[in-house]
Amino acid sequence: MNANDELRIKKLLQQALPPVEDNPEPGRDLWPVVLRRMDARPVAPPWFDWALVAGLAAFAAFFPASIPVFLYYL
Amino acid sequence: MNTHPYLRAYLAGVFLPTLVLPLLLAMFIVVRIVLQVPVPIEQAMIFPMAVVPSLFGLWNMLWLGSHPHTHLSIGMHGPILPLLMAPAGALVATCLHVLEFGSHGVTWFHAFQVPYMLITPCFLAVLAGYYLVWKYIVGFLNRVLGIA
Repeated sequence: MNANDELRIKKLLQQALPPVEDNPEPGRDLWPVVLRRMDARPVAPPWFDWALVAGLAAFAAFFPASIPVFLYYL
Repeated sequence: MNTHPYLRAYLAGVFLPTLVLPLLLAMFIVVRIVLQVPVPIEQAMIFPMAVVPSLFGLWNMLWLGSHPHTHLSIGMHGPILPLLMAPAGALVATCLHVLEFGSHGVTWFHAFQVPYMLITPCFLAVLAGYYLVWKYIVGFLNRVLGIA
């Protein structure tokens, strides 16, 4: 690689990478957002999933012979 | 933690069946030794021990590989597995004489009678169970292992 190639690669890299601004800090404080996300409760399961759980429990209660069959496939 | 994503997907997939297997074994032992019901443990354990964990792991790997193209959620990907596993498991169980077909229904493990009219509700229950298991347990493990 000669000096011309190096110069060309340098120019290409400078074109590809955006210039770093004078003040690279973010425009706002991100730490409160991180804290809010850490404190946020996980999303509760939808009612449909609760209905499925209840349906499965009822099915197992009324028909216990299905439990070993279900476990066989788990 | 961007290395070996398929290995992590496999491990997340096999987690639950590996956890359930000792419980299933304990249940069969209790039924056979304590309750004196002649359950064929050796034959009954082949499919859950040799096939199910591997299938769960491979199915999770398949989800990881296909998700960028299909955009199918993990909760919808999981219930497709019983469509393959149910006939395979029934075939293995029939060959090992764990599942017997009678005039009114099938008999699992020489002990549990399932009438034919309840096979469809049973299958739907399995689909619902798989949906919940894959959505909440395998999905959680995928997030913990950094692949979802």
